[in-house]
Amino acid sequence: MQTSALSTENIRKDFPILQRMVRDGKPLVYLDNASTTQKPNQVIDAISDYYKNHNANVHRAVYALAEESTEAYEKTREKISKFLNIKNKEEVIFVRGTTEAINLVAYTWGRQNIKKGDIIVTTEYEHHSNIVPWQLLAKEKGAKLEYIGINDNGELILDHLDSYLETGKVKLVTFSQMSNVLGTISNSEEIIKRCKKAGVKTLVDGAQSVPHMKVDIEKLDCDFFAFSAHKMLGPTGVGVLWVRKEILETMPPFHGGGDMIREVHKYETTWNDLPYKFEAGTPNIADVIGFSAAIDYLSNIGMDAIRQHEIDLTKYALEKMSQVKGITIYGVKDILNRGGVISFNFHDVHPHDVATIIDREGIAVRSGHHCAQVLMERLNVAATNRASFYIYNTKEDVDKLIKSLEKVSELYKL
Amino acid sequence: MSDPLYTEIIIDEARNASNEGTLENPDISQHDSNPMCGDSITLQMNVNDDSISDVKWHGDGCTICKACTSVLTQLIKGKDLGYVRNLKKEEILSELGLEYLLKQSPIRIKCALLSLKALKLGLYTFLGKKIEDSASLNNLKDEASKLY
Repeated sequence: MQTSALSTENIRKDFPILQRMVRDGKPLVYLDNASTTQKPNQVIDAISDYYKNHNANVHRAVYALAEESTEAYEKTREKISKFLNIKNKEEVIFVRGTTEAINLVAYTWGRQNIKKGDIIVTTEYEHHSNIVPWQLLAKEKGAKLEYIGINDNGELILDHLDSYLETGKVKLVTFSQMSNVLGTISNSEEIIKRCKKAGVKTLVDGAQSVPHMKVDIEKLDCDFFAFSAHKMLGPTGVGVLWVRKEILETMPPFHGGGDMIREVHKYETTWNDLPYKFEAGTPNIADVIGFSAAIDYLSNIGMDAIRQHEIDLTKYALEKMSQVKGITIYGVKDILNRGGVISFNFHDVHPHDVATIIDREGIAVRSGHHCAQVLMERLNVAATNRASFYIYNTKEDVDKLIKSLEKVSELYKL
Repeated sequence: MSDPLYTEIIIDEARNASNEGTLENPDISQHDSNPMCGDSITLQMNVNDDSISDVKWHGDGCTICKACTSVLTQLIKGKDLGYVRNLKKEEILSELGLEYLLKQSPIRIKCALLSLKALKLGLYTFLGKKIEDSASLNNLKDEASKLY
C-alpha cells in the first residue's frame, strides 16, 4: 500500500459546501459519507458545462451537439472500465444507482433462472437494496432466501456459506464488498472462489467499496457488480451494473423503449447490442458526464492514497472514541479489514438524541437503521449512530466529533 | 455543559418515566410509531365511570418521546374523558419547557407528540365504537383529524 499522503487542505478548496456554516455560524463537519458524498467544483462544473454547451440526446442525431454528448457519455463508460479493470466496456450498463442495478438482475436474470425450491444467499449485513429485491423474487418463484450470518466481531461466517452450497440448490450468492454499517470488508475473493467451485453465480454490491478502495473486477471474478456515483463524489441518479458478457447475452431486457431496440415492428422487436439493450429511454446524460469528472478526481488522487487516508483517520477516530464514557463501538477491530465507517451507541441514549446533540456543533452524522434492519436485529439494537469519512475529512473533524460525544456523556451523566 | 433541549429535567423524566408497563385487558390499547426516529410506543388505558382509571405505556423511544409520554400519562391518570379528549399539546410541552419545539423543530416535535397522537387515536376509536348515530361519529372523526 502506498503511503503518499493526500492533501486534505487542497482537496477541501474544491468543495464549495465545506466552506459553509450551519447552526448559527458553525463550520460544517460532514461525516455522513456512507450515505452520500459532497461534490467538488470539477463535478458541478462538468454538469453545468454540459447543459450550457453540449446538451443533446445521445445515440440518435448526427449534428455536432449530438456527437459531442454521445462522445462524452460513452467516454465515461470507457473510464469506468479502466477504473475497475473491466475488459469489455459493453458490459458496463448505466442505471440510476445500486438499487436499480440489483433490481435489474433480479427482474431479468433472476426471473429467468430462479426456480421453485432454489436458494438465493445473501448476508446479515446487507443494505435493504440487496435483500428486498430477492425477497420479492423468492416469493414470486417459491424460492428460498438464506443469510450468511455475522460473528460478534462483525465478520461473515463463511461456514454458513459452505453449508448452503452443500445443498446443491443455491443459484446466486449476493453480498456487499463493504458493510455500510459496520465497515467490514468482506472476504470477497474467498466467497467468490467457493461459489465458482460449486458453479454458483455471485453478485457483489460495491456501493461502499468502490468509492474507498481499489477494486479490480477482472481479479474479483464475480458475475454481477453494482455501485453508485453519488457515494464517490458523483451526482445522484447514476450508477453502474456490470455483468459478465456470457451472462449478459442471455438476459432478457429490463425496460422496453427507445434506444434498447434494433427494429420495432407491430408485433415483433429485435434488441439493440450490448449494453444499449439494457438502457431504455433517454439516459441521465448530464450526470453520467458529471460522474466522469468524479472518476478523474479520484484517479488523480489515487485509490491507494484514499484508502490509506481513511485507514489513518479511522484508526485515530477509533482510539479517541473508545475513550468516551458510555460508548459502544460496533464492528471489526482490525483496521485493515474495515473501511472508514464507525457505528456506535451510547448506553441508554437513543441514537436520535445523540445525533441532535452532535448536530448542534455543525456535525452531520447519521442516526437510524441505515437501511439495514436485518443487521440491527442481529446487533439487537433499534438503531445506531454512524460517522463515515472521506477524502476531505481531517483529524480536526474527528476532534470536533469527539468533543460533541463527550457532551453526550456529560449531559446523560454516563 | 448544558443544552437547551437536553436539560436535566427532561433526561431525568425520560430515565425515570412514570407509568411504564403493561395493562392486562385494557379498554384502550393504541400503538403508534415514528419511522424517522424509530420511536415506537403502545399506550394502554382503562376507563371507569367516564374517566381514565389507569394508564400504562411501553415501547422504545428517544429521550424527548419518553419524557413527553411520561408527562402525558401523569396528566390523564384519574381525569375524566372530557378533559382527556380536549388535552392540548401545549399542556404537555409546557410541563417540560418544550413549547418552542412547535416553531423550531418540525422533526423533533413528532417525537414529543407521538404519545398524544396515540392517546387521541385510541380514545376516538374507543368512543367511536360507542356512538351509534353517524352525525356524531362524523363530528368525532373531524375532531380526530385535527389532532394536533
